[in-house]
Amino acid sequence: MRTHDVTDCCPQDMTGLAEALVFEIADLLGEFASSGKGGAIDLRGLPMTETDRAALAERLGRGEVQATVHVSGRSEVWETAYAGVWWVRHLGPEGQIVAEQIAVTLIPQFLVSHPDDVHVAARKLRSECPVIAPGTSAEHFERGEGTHA
Amino acid sequence: MREHNTLGQTLQERGISRRAFLKYASYLATLMALPPSASRVIAEEMAKAHRQSVIWLSFQECTGCTESFTRSMSPTLEDLIFDFISLDYHHTLQAVSGAAAEHAREAAMKANKGKYIVVVDGSVPLKDGGVYSTIAGITNLDMLRDTAKDAFAIVSVGTCSAFGGIPHANPNPTGAVAISEIIKDKPVINIPGCPPIPEAMTGTLAYLLSFGKLPELDASHRPLAFFGETIHDRCYRRSFYERGMFADSFDDEGARKGWCLYKVGCKGPIAYNACATLKWNGAVSFPIQSGHGCLGCSEPDFWDKGGFYKPLSAATAGLTLGVGGAALAGAAAGAAGAELVRRKKAAAANAGKKEG
Repeated sequence: MRTHDVTDCCPQDMTGLAEALVFEIADLLGEFASSGKGGAIDLRGLPMTETDRAALAERLGRGEVQATVHVSGRSEVWETAYAGVWWVRHLGPEGQIVAEQIAVTLIPQFLVSHPDDVHVAARKLRSECPVIAPGTSAEHFERGEGTHA
Repeated sequence: MREHNTLGQTLQERGISRRAFLKYASYLATLMALPPSASRVIAEEMAKAHRQSVIWLSFQECTGCTESFTRSMSPTLEDLIFDFISLDYHHTLQAVSGAAAEHAREAAMKANKGKYIVVVDGSVPLKDGGVYSTIAGITNLDMLRDTAKDAFAIVSVGTCSAFGGIPHANPNPTGAVAISEIIKDKPVINIPGCPPIPEAMTGTLAYLLSFGKLPELDASHRPLAFFGETIHDRCYRRSFYERGMFADSFDDEGARKGWCLYKVGCKGPIAYNACATLKWNGAVSFPIQSGHGCLGCSEPDFWDKGGFYKPLSAATAGLTLGVGGAALAGAAAGAAGAELVRRKKAAAANAGKKEG
């Protein structure tokens, strides 16, 4: 990673923004730990270069949880090495980053199943359950009567 | 699809979960410079909304704005906007439909009275009764007035509809004017650019859909989220401007090293747009990053600003520079700098008119 060279110009140079963000994340995490009030930082709203992003990712590291979500392209969510600090990255179908944030929370809302989707899934699964014919071993099993050979 | 369904129900029927809303809302919050916490609210509100009726009128235009709005090499997150709106009329896309398209427009206006959004690209000619641009025998002026009267809001996309654009350029033979010069009794949002950045159009429409109100606008009725800063404010080559390091011509040492393009005509200091941050073609690049100065295409009368390759300072010879003698190498920040920018704009426009 090269720092900014005054005689040359590259939009990928490191600006030092990564280190500044670490302080902000530390403040958010401290507040969350003491009061339960989380927060988020929109990384796309900041003039971050690719080098800045890589530096921040290296600084925060990776924790125990990592998830890939396939909806309107791919999204990657991982907990950093600091519990409660999550990296949420939304990608378009060509792999370009369309939205990205650092979320300080127990679990990002994006990973939580929505109640409306759960209702729909419940109806769908019930409708797909096989119909249990009367007098079959499956019916006895449903009634808690054990299986019959 | 049942039209009375909410958007949430509509996408659910297609097997798309509510996570898609949340992802799109995160994308929108980023575009509109809203706090990350807003994405959850946006997602919930969008899921409860119904498809927004949109009537798109194309007048004196080159179709570049429609191309920008619809262009995608592969399905993108922005394509979700087409699930959220009902494009009930689009003159260019429905050209082969003839009279049936006009009936569709009238039916959509009647069914969505007071709720539909009118998107306009292209300026409107007024000279000689407006005969220089007609659709189905109807002048642009009459069609605009008739369609706008029961609309919720008007969105002028592209510099032609926002400010007059190229048809309005000197000598303006057709008497072309901006939409806002005709429509005075409805809210008008201007999304200028030649063409506008796709995200600026889709983001504004999605904001209208989510919040049911106009986003915050500047004095030229442009959404502040996209037009609140100049290209110069967010240009990655700004440090070279501050140090007085410029490309004197294309492909010289300064150009190859990526120095400031002010001297080869960049209009970044007076152009309000989001190109330097959002960029183009899926955030690949923008003119300055590709080695060409900003044309200032989101500003009124940019065609008459004295030439794309003449520096802004070329029109200020003889004017007193009130920024502490910093001149070309100085900072343009502060009240003195802003005043100089305004005087440069006016001088460049006058120089352009004389040359024309």
